[in-house]
Amino acid sequence: MTTIQERIQQKEGIQPLDVNAEVILETRGLAKHFELAGGFLGFGNKPTLKAVDGIDVVVRAGETVGLVGESGCGKSTTAKLLLGLEKPTAGQIFFKGEDFTKMSRAAKRDYRKNVQAVFQDPWSSLNPRMRVQSIVAEPLQIVTKMTKGEIKARVSEVLEEVGLNAYQANLYPHEFSGGQRQRIGVARALALNPEVMVLDEPVSALDVSIRAQILNLLVDLQKEHNLAYLMIAHNLATVRYMCHTTAVMYLGSIKEIGDSEPIFSNPLHPYTQALISAALPSHPDIEREEIILPGEVPSPVDPPSGCTFNPRCPVKIGDVCEQWAPGLTEEETSHWVSCHLYGDAKERFDAGEAIPAAAVEDDA
Amino acid sequence: MVDSPEQDRVESGDYSDREDADRDGFGPSTVQDDVILELKNLRTYFQTSYGTVKAVDGVSYHVKRGETLGVVGESGSGKSVTALSIMRLVPSPPGYIVGGEVILDGQNVLDLSDSEMAKIRGSKVGMILQDPMTALNPVFNIENQVGEAIRIHQNLKGQSLVDKIIHSLRQVRIPAAESRMKDYPHQLSGGMRQRVVGAISISCAPIVLIADEPTTALDVTIQAGYLRLLKEIQAETGVGIIFITHDFGIVAKMCDRVAVMYAGRIVETGDVRQIFNEPSHPYSEALLASVPKLEERTQRLYSIEGQPPPLFDLPPGCPFAPRCEYAQDVCREAYPVRFEIDANHTASCWKLLDFDISKADPEELAAAQSVSVTAAAEEQLQEAEAVAD
Repeated sequence: MTTIQERIQQKEGIQPLDVNAEVILETRGLAKHFELAGGFLGFGNKPTLKAVDGIDVVVRAGETVGLVGESGCGKSTTAKLLLGLEKPTAGQIFFKGEDFTKMSRAAKRDYRKNVQAVFQDPWSSLNPRMRVQSIVAEPLQIVTKMTKGEIKARVSEVLEEVGLNAYQANLYPHEFSGGQRQRIGVARALALNPEVMVLDEPVSALDVSIRAQILNLLVDLQKEHNLAYLMIAHNLATVRYMCHTTAVMYLGSIKEIGDSEPIFSNPLHPYTQALISAALPSHPDIEREEIILPGEVPSPVDPPSGCTFNPRCPVKIGDVCEQWAPGLTEEETSHWVSCHLYGDAKERFDAGEAIPAAAVEDDA
Repeated sequence: MVDSPEQDRVESGDYSDREDADRDGFGPSTVQDDVILELKNLRTYFQTSYGTVKAVDGVSYHVKRGETLGVVGESGSGKSVTALSIMRLVPSPPGYIVGGEVILDGQNVLDLSDSEMAKIRGSKVGMILQDPMTALNPVFNIENQVGEAIRIHQNLKGQSLVDKIIHSLRQVRIPAAESRMKDYPHQLSGGMRQRVVGAISISCAPIVLIADEPTTALDVTIQAGYLRLLKEIQAETGVGIIFITHDFGIVAKMCDRVAVMYAGRIVETGDVRQIFNEPSHPYSEALLASVPKLEERTQRLYSIEGQPPPLFDLPPGCPFAPRCEYAQDVCREAYPVRFEIDANHTASCWKLLDFDISKADPEELAAAQSVSVTAAAEEQLQEAEAVAD
């Protein structure tokens, strides 16, 4: 008889990150602004919603990068940009060093083949009228020149890889439970042998007992194929379990980014500290001093000037927060934070220095 | 800057410097001695074309004044149907409460007439549902919806009704209640909407509040605020809360006692620390090991393989046996009897009896096997079938 603890010991968790691994996906100053209806009779300035406002993320082979934040912080828009479902307003996406916006049609096709997605809700992301066979085969039919027989064999192969039986290819999605459906979603993403998977809240729609199954499946697949993951999640504990790197987003920009361990054990940004303080404890004896943020997340249509977090910040240090947008500074090894509490911005501001170049660029 | 004492504490696991009374972080415990709601062997079955679904199959638990009971389990474990049975809101047909008692404030609500029950719903027992957008009616303003329950149960009119509505909204900390009550649900944020639902359910000063996953649709910081609010209301009014959830984090933060449900039965019940420190049913142990922790990096989560069994075709024995690491032959033969591990801490698992069926009390063993439906239940189900035909 194996105990549960022994069973856990038998399996490996996420693999340590190889910092020299190839950079698969990189964004530089990635932004997406939506122009809203408005203005006077269609004239004049239309309000713009800055969903994503300048994001720099690097994803290496075998690495999981987690994007965390509350609803409306732009994490899902970032995912859409990376999947090529939205066109960025500014900034670039590099795939293995090549700029996506400058790619040829063929290269873009190759990009889409290599960047696959797993969606949040396995009830709405699988077509109820298609058999599993057709669902998983669809990307293969579109992208590859495989024959029918080859496709069938590949579908069986990936289904077994995600823990389903090959014969289940003939069933329809409604015949599966939530966890199994999410496995189908993973199989579909895996079919083309991608290098990157964008995981948009992959377990939040699932039951607790099933979540661990899917998370562990993703961990095992990563090890097997050296996959790079960009995972979007709002559950901090899930991010800590899965991600080598964590990026905390607020109102379209990254407030803190770096190795997951220092971010969770020593959060530097006041917003990250508040998020962690509000997260649920894993034991009744754990009591966190909760940092209560006043008000609600402001509208991204007219975001606050300076640091976007300043109206709610419990430790705001002065006018510098309202006027200068902080850039990301490396406060400790592999741990960047965008906050005036760190660095010398306050002294320079108080000394009457003009707005630094970086901040001007952000305003433009 | 960083709250490092907390970090040290988590790392060292040393909580000895903390006063016992204040350990849940919400001030002194509010639990009092009198039991205000007690379920005894409640059974709710559904008659379906697949067969009889035993959604709730002999559930017993109680809630004391000022206490929060967490009912944990995955979807389909019967935790919500239990709550609906307390309110007598199980849609019938196909659902029937076929046995047991629900004793609210000394009175079995299953004996009440429909009109008597209507007086209890919303006044003595309040309910907060998961999704505030579907719980609120989009075409009525907040004043109207909060006022409805007060008007019906307390017969208030005019200014006194308005005063009471404002009072209820203030109780759930809605800022500028006087102007906010003219708003419609779509004008409020998700957190505010859920507060309105809370205001409706506590407006008539219930003695029991059933909260069915009230914060799943909310963001982390909003969720924390809402949970704090519920605790404050409990401290003010002494309401007993039944918190239905699948999130052990909420249980850790909110609950005094826990009942873990699986396949329509309670498999383990105990004080919250007993469950977290010493989970005795393999299902509780597995669930706890499958949740990632925020405070430390988990090397590997335990994944419970398989799925919960279909409730219309339960095999004899323990329904968790097919997914259980510890299962032996006896587990597939007979449903385990309840074993008392400690005061207030019981679990139903053969492991606790060393997988030895002879150690079980024969009478209890027979009672635990819900293979045969009680005579009254049989009759009711047959009637239902006759109607269906």
